[in-house]
Amino acid sequence: MKTKSLLSTASLVLVIAAFSASAQAQIAIGHLADYSGGTSDVGTPYGQAVADTFAWVNKNGGIGGKQVSVDTNDYSYQVPKAIALYKKWSAPDSKVAAIMGWGTADTEALTGFLAQDKIPDLSGSYAAALTDPEGTSGKAKPAPYNFFYGPSYSDSLRAMLIWAAEDWKAKGKPGKPKFVHMGANHPYPNAPKAAGEAMAQELGFEVLPPLVFALAPGDYSAQCLSLKSSGANYAYLGNTAASNISVMKACKTAGAEVQFLGNVWGMDENAAKTAGDAADGVIFPLRTSVSWGGDAPGMKTVMEISKISDPTGKVYRPVHYVAGVCSALYMREALDWAAKNGGATGDNVVKGFYQKKDWVPAGMEGVCAPSTWTDKDHRGTLKVELYRTKITGATDGDLNDLMAKGTIKLEKVKTVELPRKPELLGW
Amino acid sequence: MAGPALIPAGDFRTSYAADTTIFPTTTSRNFAIVGVLLLCLVPQVLGGYWLSILIQTGIFSIAALGLNILVGFTGQISIGHAAFFLLGAFTSAYISNNAPIPVFFAIPIAGVVTALVGLIFGIPAARLKGLYLVIATLAAQYILLDFFSRAEWFTGGSVPASAEPFSIFGYSLRGDRQYFYVVLAYVVASYVLVTNLMRTRDGRALVAIRDHYLSAEIMGINLTKYRTLSFGLAAFFAGIAGALYAHYQLVVSQEGFGIERSILFLAMIIIGGTGSIMGTLMGTAFVVLLPETMEFISLSLKGGAIDKALSLNNNITFLREIAIGVIIIAFLMFEPDGLAHRWRQIKAYWKLYPFSH
Repeated sequence: MKTKSLLSTASLVLVIAAFSASAQAQIAIGHLADYSGGTSDVGTPYGQAVADTFAWVNKNGGIGGKQVSVDTNDYSYQVPKAIALYKKWSAPDSKVAAIMGWGTADTEALTGFLAQDKIPDLSGSYAAALTDPEGTSGKAKPAPYNFFYGPSYSDSLRAMLIWAAEDWKAKGKPGKPKFVHMGANHPYPNAPKAAGEAMAQELGFEVLPPLVFALAPGDYSAQCLSLKSSGANYAYLGNTAASNISVMKACKTAGAEVQFLGNVWGMDENAAKTAGDAADGVIFPLRTSVSWGGDAPGMKTVMEISKISDPTGKVYRPVHYVAGVCSALYMREALDWAAKNGGATGDNVVKGFYQKKDWVPAGMEGVCAPSTWTDKDHRGTLKVELYRTKITGATDGDLNDLMAKGTIKLEKVKTVELPRKPELLGW
Repeated sequence: MAGPALIPAGDFRTSYAADTTIFPTTTSRNFAIVGVLLLCLVPQVLGGYWLSILIQTGIFSIAALGLNILVGFTGQISIGHAAFFLLGAFTSAYISNNAPIPVFFAIPIAGVVTALVGLIFGIPAARLKGLYLVIATLAAQYILLDFFSRAEWFTGGSVPASAEPFSIFGYSLRGDRQYFYVVLAYVVASYVLVTNLMRTRDGRALVAIRDHYLSAEIMGINLTKYRTLSFGLAAFFAGIAGALYAHYQLVVSQEGFGIERSILFLAMIIIGGTGSIMGTLMGTAFVVLLPETMEFISLSLKGGAIDKALSLNNNITFLREIAIGVIIIAFLMFEPDGLAHRWRQIKAYWKLYPFSH
């Protein structure tokens, strides 16, 4: 009896000691999420994925034995709010090891501060301006602490233009194809504008003046009428899905015959369901090798992570969720390397990103696209996988069923492997 | 709104100087001086979060003060105040980035530039009244914002512009602790300036226009001149506040300075009390603190029993916005004269305690 109580007391003490030790030794991460702002339609699944992944990491022992404390904040896609949060995260007494960022405007606003305070930021912004760590190309300011997982907006657009040029030839239409850039006047849609228009010119497109439509869904009939009267053949949609859907629906009504090219945030399964047949035939880049439920060994890990916020396991996760899991797991491995090699400080985390070549996070084989970051080049990948939405019927009902039945389908169209040109770094 | 109606019986003034004094008693003046001195100690005591709240309150209160000159003292209205705030921010950032002028001087220059632009927009506005004036100032908001998004040489287009940290003659200030003093100095200077302005001939002319523009005109007050001037003054303080904000954030972005921010500036002075200088400060503090309080409440709700019972999840964010709206409406219904009025009543209550009747 006595020994038993003694043992239980001892074990209790041990548990408490272990708990308080783990409470003290934590790795702090700042997380900017947009759940209520202009990009909340895609920001919600991505932010949820990041939060779920780190909760899952904590459940499985944390990083190097330390728990990760993630400070998730909804900043409504507003730069001032992001900066206020950054001030908190960079203060000496509450400095974070890394940031999981989001928008282009706020990430570009933070770039200089990140370098000053040595805090790495893996953003949801894929702006090419964030890929040049030393600023050698002269196209963008140096961004040594910025990372993102996937092809940059510019490279995605370049790949889609290559596809469009081939498509035009294959269809055997006469004359020069016409290309137009569409999106809000905001850093995110604007990021690939100059690069895309230059590439289009090079490929023999006629480049039309860009059309502006807001980040929020709305009535964009006027834009579609200009699109129709300008005779554009290929239109890049620079906004997120909800806003792009408004355009596609309006353009279908207006009868504009245009091939839409979406950006990585421009299309997903939820959007396709909402847009119905208006979303049929949109070309867009997919950042992961498979989408939800795809046939890959790593999908098991994604499903497990998803159960953190959905214990039933029945919710269909759009492509942004899977990409969010990949992004968070790259960050986890970089943190892990840093923790083993001198502690999870900003500089070590950055070095952690440089350790491997053609790197896929453990347990994500076949899901995340192999990526390589070096101290001279932060373009993780130049391989762009282009998909097309195919909608064959009414899109009412559960998304799981629609995907299973194939009413909504993401078909692979082409894989474009762009050459790693040094002069295109940061552009 | 310390009108003659609020002067109690038996309180006679025997000179003009006594009639226009800022502080009615020596004690109230000493209190104000001690208050400012205490604020000087704040950066030594308070941490980053509270300091940033105070700095924001200070900066926005300067802009709100400008709006109060226009709305509370001249009886005009503007729903384009945020655009002038942003103009000041971009101007100061542009000057300090492109000219060899230290930020110390760039801030007042930005104020003057904004005032000049304010005067231009004031010219048509001075000839309009009521709803027409509202629409004219709305146009100012959109014209300026559209200019910012297109003038890449000036603002960097849609990419946020960067601003230099506060500096004077090669000595630059870094961090909130030091910047707090800059903001405090500007707040004190602005409030003293406007309080004094209201004691001058021009200040009284503005109030006369508010109270009855026809009578004012008959008395020989040049309506157009004073209305335009009022726009210029409002823009000046908005510009100063914007410039301070730019060098505080070190980044200037258009986001968050649309029409909703202009409305928020109006909310500050309405909640604080239109036509009350002290009330402006209170109203600004209220509007700055409200979302922070709601954020705190929603954070403590998160994961709790109420959250689970109602399955709020991410909707807590929206709940916060709704709550802010409801509180503002409730304020307008139950406290239409603003916090300044409530503050006077509290003071009167304690002055007469326990024999208030």
